[in-house]
Formats: sequence, C-alpha cells, structure tokens
Amino acid sequence: MRSRRDFFTGAAALVGAGLVSRAGAATLPEAPIMSSAATQPPPPPPNGRPYNPVVTLNGWSLPWRMNNGVKEFHLIAEPVVREIAPGMKANLWGYNGQSPGPTIEVVEGDRVRIFVTNRLPEHTSIHWHGQRLPNGMDGVTGLTQPGIQPGKTFVYEFVARRPGTFMYHPHADEMVQMAMGMMGFWVTHPRNPAQHRVDRDFVFLLNAYDIDPGSYTPRVNEMLNFNLWTFNSRAFPGIDTMNVRRNDRVRIRVGNLTMTNHPIHVHGHEFEVTGTDGGWTRPESRWPEVTTDVAVGQMRAIEFIADEPGDWAFHCHKSHHTMNAMGHDVPNLIGVDHRGVAEKIARLVPDYMVMGDKGGSMGDMEMPLPDNTLPMMTGQGPFGGVEMGGMFTVLKVRKDQKPGDYSDPGWYRHPPGTLAYEWKGEPPAALRKQDAGGQSMPAANAPEVEVTVRKPTGHQGHH
Amino acid sequence: MTRYTSSPMLRAVATGALAALLGGCASFSPDGGLDAVSAMTSARTGQDLQLTQAKHDSGATQAEVARLLGAPLTADGAVRVALLNNRGLRASLAGLGVAEADLVQAGRMRNPGLSFSRMSGGGETEIERGVMFDLVGLLTIPIRRDIEARRFQGAKLAAAMDAVRLAADTRKAWFNAVAAAQSAQYAEQVREAAQASAELARRMARAGNLSALDGAREQVFSAEATAQLARARHQATAAREQLARLMGVWGAQTAFTLLERLPDLPAAPRDGDNVESLAMRQRLDVQLAKLDAQATARALGLSKATGFVNVLDAGYVNTSKTGAPREQGYEIELVLPIFDWGGARVAKAEALYMQSVHRTAHAATSARSQVREAYSAYRTNYDLARHYRDEIVPLQKKISEETLLRYNGMLIGVFELLADARAQITRVTASIEAQRDFWIAETALQAAINGSGGSAAAAASVVSSAAGSVDAAAPEH
Ligand SMILES: [Cu+2]
Repeated sequence: MRSRRDFFTGAAALVGAGLVSRAGAATLPEAPIMSSAATQPPPPPPNGRPYNPVVTLNGWSLPWRMNNGVKEFHLIAEPVVREIAPGMKANLWGYNGQSPGPTIEVVEGDRVRIFVTNRLPEHTSIHWHGQRLPNGMDGVTGLTQPGIQPGKTFVYEFVARRPGTFMYHPHADEMVQMAMGMMGFWVTHPRNPAQHRVDRDFVFLLNAYDIDPGSYTPRVNEMLNFNLWTFNSRAFPGIDTMNVRRNDRVRIRVGNLTMTNHPIHVHGHEFEVTGTDGGWTRPESRWPEVTTDVAVGQMRAIEFIADEPGDWAFHCHKSHHTMNAMGHDVPNLIGVDHRGVAEKIARLVPDYMVMGDKGGSMGDMEMPLPDNTLPMMTGQGPFGGVEMGGMFTVLKVRKDQKPGDYSDPGWYRHPPGTLAYEWKGEPPAALRKQDAGGQSMPAANAPEVEVTVRKPTGHQGHH
Repeated sequence: MTRYTSSPMLRAVATGALAALLGGCASFSPDGGLDAVSAMTSARTGQDLQLTQAKHDSGATQAEVARLLGAPLTADGAVRVALLNNRGLRASLAGLGVAEADLVQAGRMRNPGLSFSRMSGGGETEIERGVMFDLVGLLTIPIRRDIEARRFQGAKLAAAMDAVRLAADTRKAWFNAVAAAQSAQYAEQVREAAQASAELARRMARAGNLSALDGAREQVFSAEATAQLARARHQATAAREQLARLMGVWGAQTAFTLLERLPDLPAAPRDGDNVESLAMRQRLDVQLAKLDAQATARALGLSKATGFVNVLDAGYVNTSKTGAPREQGYEIELVLPIFDWGGARVAKAEALYMQSVHRTAHAATSARSQVREAYSAYRTNYDLARHYRDEIVPLQKKISEETLLRYNGMLIGVFELLADARAQITRVTASIEAQRDFWIAETALQAAINGSGGSAAAAASVVSSAAGSVDAAAPEH
C-alpha cells in the first residue's frame, strides 16, 4: 500500500502518522509529522487536479487524502521544538511537528476538508486568512465557532474558490498563540497549471519571536520588542538559500504574521509584485521594484527572471531585522578611547574585552555566549563574515542548476574581472567643501555646537 | 537574768578563738591566688595568666608581647597579648592581693596595746597605765578567717571572670578588625569599578556619545563609592583601635599587622545538647553566686548556734556591675544577750540566706537562658555563613558569568557589566560579614558557657523564679 509518505522520497524526516485515536482512525486522515527543519523539495501532486507545487523555505507541504472528491488534511496543533538556526532551539507551538506548520496546497475549485486536532494546553481555532468561505468556517473563536478544546478535533470544510496566496493561524488567544509560532502557509493554485506558471515558486512566512538570550521559550506578552526576526521561524544563518537556474522565472511569496512591516529587498534584479492579498495583480498595474514592503497581515508575491548569475543577498531592509538578539541599551562606545579604563575593568572582570569602540561589528571575535543564543551577526561567506542574522538569505542563480534541483550549488565563482578589488596606488587628497548651505529659517540665537571629527587612527587595538 | 554568765555558746566561741590563736598565724600564699585564677582562665580560654603579676612585670613579658605583635596577629595571639598586657586586667588581678592581705590579716590577733596617761592639775598628778588586749578580735578570729577565705575565693573567681571576659572581648575585636579590613579592601574594588564607569562615561561624553544627564548618573555612582570607601576605611580603623585598646598596646606596638582573612568555617557546627550543663559547671558567675550562698549559709548556721554573733552584714559579694567596683564587706559584732536572745537575728539570717539562694537560682536560670540564646545565635550564624559560602556567593558567581556572556553577545553594555561587578563585591562583603558574625557568635557562646555570658548577656538577666542548680548552696549544718 502506498502511503502519503512514499511521495516524499528523500524526506526521511517525515515520520509516522499521529492518529488521534483508534476509534477516529477510520474517519480521520493521516496526520504526518515532520521532524526536520530543512527545506523539503516539492513532490508533484499524487492525485486530484494537477498543479506546480511551491517550495516552502525550511518547510514542507502537507499530504492529503482524497475522500469522495474532497481533499482531506489533518493538522495537529501541538507544542514543538523548532531549530531556529544551528545552535539554537526554541519551544514553540506549531502544527504537525514544526512551526510554522506545513504549507497547504490546493487547486482553485477544490473542496477541502481540514481536520484540526488540538493538543495544546488551551483551546484554539484556525482562521483561513484571506479565503472566501462560509462564515462559520472562518475560525474566529467566540464569533463564528467555539474554541477547539484540548484533545478535541474540529472539521473545517469549504471550497477553495479564489486562487492566490494565503495563510492560516489561530484566532483564539492569538497574541499568545502567534507569539508561540502558530501559523502556516496556504497556496491555492489556479485551475489551469499553465496560468501564472513559474519555474521556481518559493514561499515563507515572516515571523518574530522574543526569546531571552539563554532561554528557550518565547515571551508571549510581547508587543514590539521582538529580538528574533525569522523566515519560517528560522534565522540566518539557519535559512536555506534559494537556489535557481539562470533565466528561471522565480516567484517568491511572503506572508507577514509579525507585528511590523518588512521591506523585502532582493539584490541584482528588479521584480514586480504579481500577487497581493486580494489575488493576482493585473500586468498593467505592476511596476518594477527592488524592495517591496510587506505590511502586517499581508501577503505579497514577487516575480522576476533570475538572469544575473551570482550569490545575491535577499533580506528585510530594516537593518535590525538582519540581526539576532541584541541589547537595546548597550552604550554607544564608538570613538571612545579605552586606554587605561579597559585594564581597570579587566582587573574586576578578568575576561573583559573592549567591544563597540569602533562600531558594532564583532568581526571574527569568537566569544562564549549564553546558552541557546545565536550570535548577533554571523554566517560565513566565501570572503569572511557576512555580518547578518535574522531575515537574511541568499538567492543563488546558476546556469547549470537543474530544473527541480533545489540543492545548494556552493559559492559563486566570479568570472575574471567581475570582482571588486583593492586599489594599491596612492589615495588622492580629499577635496572638501566647507559650506553647509544656507538655512531658510535660521534660529535667532542658535548656540554654536562644536563636534570634533574623530577618525580611527589604527593605533587603538586594545583587544 | 542569771544565765548569761554561764552561756555554753559563748564559751564555745571563746574556746574556738583561742584554739585558732594557738594554732598559728595565717600566712601569704606563694602565688597570691594567681595560679588558681590562671588555671580557671586557662580552662576556659586556653590561655594562662602567668607573668602578669605587677611585681614580675619583666622583660620576658614584654618580649613575648613584642614577639606576638611582630608576626601577623592571630585571634589567639591577640588574646594572649591582651591577657599579658591589658592594664585593666592587671588592676583586677591586683585586687587578689588586697583580698589575700585581708585574709592573712583576719588570721592575726590585733597587737596588744599599752596606754599611758598623765594628768596634772590642782597640784596633783595622776598617772594611769593600762594594758589593752583585743578580746573581741580574739574571739572572732575563726569567723573572720572563714569569711575572708570565702572573700579571697570570690576575688579569684571575679578575677578569672575579668580575664575570661577580656579574652572574649579581644577575640570579638579581632574578628571585627579582620573583617573590617577585608571589607575596606572590597570597598576599594567597588570604588575602582565605579571609577572605571565614571571614566568611561567621561570619555563617552567627550566623544559625543553621552548626555549630561547620563554622564552625571555615572559620576554619582563613583562619588558615592568614594564616600562608602571612606566609611569602610574608618570602620576598619575603629575596629582595629578597639582591638588595640583591649590588647593594651600603644606607641610602636600599634603597628601590628592582622591576618588577611578570617578563619574558615568549621566543617560542622558544634552540638548544642550539653551547652546548658556545661555552663552550669563552668560559669564563673554561677560559681560566685554559689559561693555567696555558702557564705550566708555559714552565717545562718552561726547565728543559729550562738544567737550572739552578728555576721549578717557580711555582704553579698556582688557579681560586679560593669563600671562600678565590686562592693563587699562584713561586720561582726558580739552582743551580750541581756535583752535580746537573738530570735530576730536568726530570722533575719534566714531571710538573707534565702535571698542568696534566690540570687543563685536567678543567676543559674539566667545563665541557662543566655547559653541557649547564645547557641541559637551561634547555630544561626553558622548556617548563614555557610549559606553565603555555598549558595549566595556561588549564585552571584554564576550571575557574573552569565552577565559576561551577555556582554560578549552585545546584549548588555559595559555599564551593566560593571554594575554586576559591584553587586558581586557587595555580596562577597556580605559573605565576609556573615563569616565574621559566626566567629563572634562562637566567641559569645564560649563566653556564655565559660565566663559570665559576656558584656551583652549581662544586661539580659531579669528576675526569674525557677531555681537552677543550687544544691551546693544548701546550709551546711
Ligand atoms: Cu523586517
């Protein structure tokens, strides 16, 4: 007998069915569990209407069962341990072994039945963000349904009417449950697989956690002070690269379930926003961008031809979102001379090391950190430290990346003459203009403020 | 009124007095009572009192004092110096000589006197010659000797009490001085941390990275730490001077150095089961009270036996109130039983005896209470000191390690790192204080068992009714 798992050849991490109960086994579809945080290459749909599957970055798609023409899925809401990046794990709440949960892929017009079993310690629900559906299937606790109590299973059933990009998440104690990672991606493919067809279709959610350095469980009563900014609950260098073949048409779909907006930026290419929350954008409404802001609760699909080979940065452009946990009240020591003081401090704190006097970069310093804490900016590239964390990954465009091959091709080899290099000659004297320009509304008695420019002399090495 | 000439009691007294007179005179002991005091002190402090008689104040004593002060001073060394060198104790020991002289005097007849008078007037001259003999003195010699012997014994107990108390006070002062010196050192480190913060803040302000408000906040830490250091240094000086006073040192002797650290805690606290019975055996104030009860018992017996010897004013030998000299004394009178056959006197003697019995019981009850309290303090301070050593300080160390890890990750800044360093130093200082408090409580417990309960415990006694161990104070007839 072929089980759903057989379609996931190579997806050894997919483990046994989590059946809810023997009595329910006859009527409930299998609930596969994923134990790996690696990107699972997409299988073609084994039955039902054909579609071109998406690739969930550091995630997977949920297998289904066809039951009298209805696609039946089984989601289990449960506590999980998610690897945020190598060296850091988090106690989260998710679905079927991971947070975010598996991507649900259906085709326009599919009748979909989703069994939701609650193995959380409190009631939950699922809201199908962006879908047109009967009101009673909208998953808002108290408003359209009672909460799914622990141990109970609810069934949602509707027709996936509108093709596009969607999300799912609880609408029950949602501040806590979303802070704990309860969310997943949903793609409704067009009925015609040729429509909007692309060669590579990457999807991921934007999410954020507040995990105190040295701890494992996110703080749930957090409003805006999140300290881990993630794609699919992964932080760089734990985010897989997006590996494409040169001249592939690439789509990247992003859903934002954080509490702030994220200007998503790609290097080396312009793209167009081809999909929004409301569906596909009309071609005449599109304009080229290199950054698109994905606001809170929004989904965006961007598309471009990956015609520039190389390793291209892809990241949120809020610079503190490309950092891992960092202190907000760390004093600014840029340009502060530590001579004498450092020795004094070292007498009291023997392992003390001066940091921040030349900027925030920790360079190649390797210092012990609290348990389960990602360094602020790490990830090694072919030329050294990438000095990034959080919402950062790399778009790898290669001419010989086979279709359907999502494996990492390694670092880009720059053709001769295409790499920045050091100038070895004499630097010219800088010409400076002293006039700062006029003021349209000068103050009557503006005090003279004197700020002295301090330049690093290169003789401040107290490390 | 015919019986008085043939009173057998009076005859008995007179015969006893003559026998004592003929039995030979009392003489001075070779050590003046010091050996007994030294033995009592040694049994309770581990230090004897030799070489402390004023007339033997030789170079040897000063040499030993100099030797002890020359090396880093231990607690035992400080006690030894105090016992050798404290002038207050020497004054107290000199009291022994006074008591012994009284004892010897009491065993001797007053010298017979000769009187001669010549009166002239009105042409006549009258010459009288007489020989006077102290008959009353003769009759009361045995009584006086008995009383003086007890007073001498009391003086020895009192001197030993002084010595034991001095030893205890000196030990406490030593622990205080060492701990205060250690705390002052740590206060210096705190100031160093605060100064580093302040200096960094100044440089940040110079680089344009710190507002005047935040700058002032960092400066005030440093300024406060300087004030704390001044206080801590004075504390160290005061504690050291207290020790110097108790050791009776002056001049160049005050340059002594102390051990750098307090002794480690003992591996286990001593058991508290037998401290009360130990105290009943060893406490000098209890023994003094017993001695007094014995004396009044003798007086009672005497009053009952004769009715005519009044020794009732033989004073209760006061357990010395601090500051005031001990009061003691007695008066003996021989009365002629003409109008009063002594019934009232016997009643008064009985009342006085009961008074001394109650005093003894009170001393015993207070002593038991004091020693229980002292043991509680000892045990609590032991547990606290161990708690600091095994729990609080290691936890603070863990906090500091974790703080440094957070600094490494740029999760916190250098000011938080320095604030943690200050917190660590503060907790280490608290730990030292807990260790000091243990050793002081240990000394207080020793004093409660062995001496008179120490200066603090002396104020604790209130009237109590339950009798303690007063068997030895029963009348002796
Ligand atoms: Cu962002």
